[in-house]
Amino acid sequence: MKLSNIVRLYRVRLGSRLVPEVFAILGIAVGVALLFASQVASTSLNGSVRQLTTGIVGHMRFQLAARAPEGFDQRLLSEVEHLPGVIAAVPVLEEHVNMIGPTGARPVDLLGTDPRFAHLGGPLVRRFGYARLAQLQALAVPAPIASAIGASSLRPVRLQVGTSVPTALIGTTLTAGDIGGLVDSPIALGPLLYVQRLTGMTGRLSRIFVGARPGEDRVVMAGLTRLAAGALNVRPGDFDATLFGNAAGPTNQSTTLFSAISALVGFLFAFNAMLLTVPQRRNLVEDLRLDGYTAGMIVQVLLFDALVLGVLASLAGLALGEVLSVELFSASPGYLSLGFPVGSQRIVAWQSVALAFGGGMTAACVGVLAPLRREIFSPLATAFSRPKRSMGRRSGALAVGLMCLAATTVILIAAPQAAIAGIASLIVAMLLLLPEALAGLVAAFDRLRRSVSGVSPYLAVIELRSGANRARALAIAATGAIAVFGSVAIQGAHSNLQQGLDRLVHQLNTSAALWVIPPGSQNLLATTPFRAIPISALERLPGVTAVEPLRAALLDYEDRRVWVLAPPPGAAYPIPPSQLVSGDLATAAARVRAGGWAVISQAVASEHHLHLGQPFVLPSPRPRTFRVAALITNLGWPPGAVILNSADYVRAWGSNDPSAYYVKLAADVPVQRGRLRVQRALGPTSGLGVETARQRELRQRSASRQGLQRLTQISWLVLIAAVLAMGAAMGSMIWQRRLHLADMKVDGFRRGELWRALLLESTLLLGTGCSIGAVFGIYGQLLLSHALATVTGFPVVFSAEVSTAVSSFLIVTAAAVVIVAIPGHAAARVRPAISLQD
Amino acid sequence: MLELRNVVRHYPVGDGEPVRAVDGVSLLVAPGELVALYGPSGSGKTTLLMLIAALLRPDSGAVLMDGRNVSELSERDAARYRLAELGFVRQSLNLLASASALDNASLKLMGTNLNVGEAHRRVMPILQRLGLGERAGHRAEQLSMGERQRVMIARALSTDPKLVLADEPTGSLDTGRSREVLDLLTEICRERKAAVLLVTHDPRAATHADRVHALHDGRLVEYQPDHLVVSTGAE
Repeated sequence: MKLSNIVRLYRVRLGSRLVPEVFAILGIAVGVALLFASQVASTSLNGSVRQLTTGIVGHMRFQLAARAPEGFDQRLLSEVEHLPGVIAAVPVLEEHVNMIGPTGARPVDLLGTDPRFAHLGGPLVRRFGYARLAQLQALAVPAPIASAIGASSLRPVRLQVGTSVPTALIGTTLTAGDIGGLVDSPIALGPLLYVQRLTGMTGRLSRIFVGARPGEDRVVMAGLTRLAAGALNVRPGDFDATLFGNAAGPTNQSTTLFSAISALVGFLFAFNAMLLTVPQRRNLVEDLRLDGYTAGMIVQVLLFDALVLGVLASLAGLALGEVLSVELFSASPGYLSLGFPVGSQRIVAWQSVALAFGGGMTAACVGVLAPLRREIFSPLATAFSRPKRSMGRRSGALAVGLMCLAATTVILIAAPQAAIAGIASLIVAMLLLLPEALAGLVAAFDRLRRSVSGVSPYLAVIELRSGANRARALAIAATGAIAVFGSVAIQGAHSNLQQGLDRLVHQLNTSAALWVIPPGSQNLLATTPFRAIPISALERLPGVTAVEPLRAALLDYEDRRVWVLAPPPGAAYPIPPSQLVSGDLATAAARVRAGGWAVISQAVASEHHLHLGQPFVLPSPRPRTFRVAALITNLGWPPGAVILNSADYVRAWGSNDPSAYYVKLAADVPVQRGRLRVQRALGPTSGLGVETARQRELRQRSASRQGLQRLTQISWLVLIAAVLAMGAAMGSMIWQRRLHLADMKVDGFRRGELWRALLLESTLLLGTGCSIGAVFGIYGQLLLSHALATVTGFPVVFSAEVSTAVSSFLIVTAAAVVIVAIPGHAAARVRPAISLQD
Repeated sequence: MLELRNVVRHYPVGDGEPVRAVDGVSLLVAPGELVALYGPSGSGKTTLLMLIAALLRPDSGAVLMDGRNVSELSERDAARYRLAELGFVRQSLNLLASASALDNASLKLMGTNLNVGEAHRRVMPILQRLGLGERAGHRAEQLSMGERQRVMIARALSTDPKLVLADEPTGSLDTGRSREVLDLLTEICRERKAAVLLVTHDPRAATHADRVHALHDGRLVEYQPDHLVVSTGAE
């Protein structure tokens, strides 16, 4: 068939179906927007660290990295330069600091390097004007960071580096024109010597980036490994991106799941909207077939419809998704920024655009063709008669639904790590059981209404049993079911995770009444070491019963940046009891206290095939062998955690530096008074802050909530989309029934009776969909919570969030019925005369 | 041209006896001839048209068009046959509401290799002949029922079919409009030498035909305005 004819056929039909087509476009656009925004959020999180790593590292193949913040002697640089196969070696000093300006503070990754990097590194270090900064003794800072803290060029800022707070000069602010998308990275760059001086690390380096001659990677690697002597890490140049990929895995998994559910709801929204245009297309297909159009020709005509719809809807969806992404999904990455330089840049990868656009096009094609497949492909004599739903098909669907439910149960019990498959089978089960649930509910309502007078319930039952609206009614109910399912499952799992994290931070922080710690949001995990202070002055303060050091650090253990904690021997919970996954708490605590034993996260143990009692080498600055005393959750730090005895930590790190002090108070001393006394005793120059356990707990809760905020936002968007989808589809279904309503008015039914019947019908249909979604959602929540605990090792509390299920069910059903009430009222006012007109 | 040879088509009804929708019908229609099939509702008229249009296959017997058994055509070839050799005038007026009379009448031609302009050039004289020249640019929703039926006739004739199947073409029209539409249909078909098989339950419509047959319980019977007698079934 000629394309020009197809286009003409499209154009001449457009006028009469403009409104349903706009609805369909809106439907697909919402789905595309949800998919696109969640994809961008996920890509941005991973991409920001990869982009920063590439921006610094450039083409440098390897890095020699310190295992502790003290770094290593810079004299190692010349040895690296002289290794065979090395063409370049660039020194870097890196320190996680808090930059404090006149109007605010931001945690940044402070990088000191030398002019060689300007030639060999990535785009970030090539354009920061090394010579000028060296001359000025100043730092380069991305303009958004400078603006956030109220700093500008040639103005001083303060840096919180451990306990010292030196003043630094901002030499230049880098704009997007200088460094492109890296402008949103939390970073500050400066000449190596200047940064060494600022951080008090003269003569020290954190890393050496190494360029290798082509084909000599193995030689260089061997040389670096020899120089590292087991005390330094030899890694690929861009290894930080790999580490971050692992750390962000759980967040990305949740986002993937959310994206899938968003896409499904979006598709059903689109499908519902497309169903509005089915009657007109069905007439067209019948006409064309009678006139001799082949199935292929009709598919061409309809695919062109889908193409126009899909392109317009996908473009609108991408625009809407862009707005969502900028306005809503730019949440802070929360906890992960404590261990990685996570930027706030939005990274829109072509894959995200392609996936969303492709999803929109697929929805349009399936939405146009699927409801008409029988009319197009069946023999013409039977194509336009309504098929009867056989008992065989019904029981077949029921059996498959129950089998899917059984498969989900098996996954829940035996392999919760396959949660995505479990959720998929649960959704299939729900959709297959939905028709029977609806039929059952209608039958129950029918029995109930027999004891009630009035015609409205009777009319509602008749309409719900009508075959004419069956496909659309089920699609509407399915939209509600999936949206409520997704929302309940995700919000429930989120709530279980949040409760688990809250319980954890409570146990971690109540070990002491007060914490003495270098201030700054970058130090929430207490991983910034500082020189030990004389604690006797604090111990002598009235009301203070004990002052004990906590030692903690982030350590790169293979592909994971794990959190290592060495609580003082007197800690209330050296191993937080609720976090134990395997082993005996008392035995493990006794073994750790005795030394040579460590408690490690289950995920780390699984990765290294470690079991209780088995020895392993911790790759600390001075590697040491420990035995596994017990397995725990990841303590809320996605890559995992290790708990050691304080003395073991000192030996393994070769340093006595604490990262915090626990201060215990007598029971009768008010915490705030104790805090003021300790703060006063430390004095204004100590560089240390004093926090109450409650303050730390609130800060940590806030950080963990920030990280999970995006998930909550998406689940609400899914619900809003579902309400709109169901309201619009139900409303239009009712609106198209006006002629039928006019007939009923001719037969003597009153407006109020018809309106009540429409509302009852809507409530039953939407209520059934949402209630089955809520019930399955609780099951989905259990599955997701187990998956989170198993796969990610997060501390999760297992509880069925029935209140979330009930509230989601009520909100969605009520909102959709309220929306439907308006077109329902208008439709019920139809003039009876129209039923008698031509 | 069209030959039905002892065509039988039954419909199963639950566990009971099948309904004999078409029961041993034989019929010949010559080129340019207008044959009317008269019968009440449920007599098998529409089933017979569907068999001729290759929309249904007979249980036995054959439907031959120029000697070719159209009952044996594949779905694709059957569609080609309807496009090229048949014109279908239906009782239901499923016009594209927002499209013009000209576009609606050209719908069938758009399925051929003609482009839109050529299709319009071919259809316009037919619309003019049907008295719709002035209304060709009007949207279908602006046309009266009689005008819409004439658009359907123009569409059926647009591909110069050998045979026009008219299924109750005046079913939704009043007496005056019915006569007007049937007069035009017969005149134009005669001009174009297209045979017409007119199916109707309106005895007045049958008066336009060269020959009139009646269908009763799926069997072809002799048409008599006053009473119906069972024929031998043979032509």
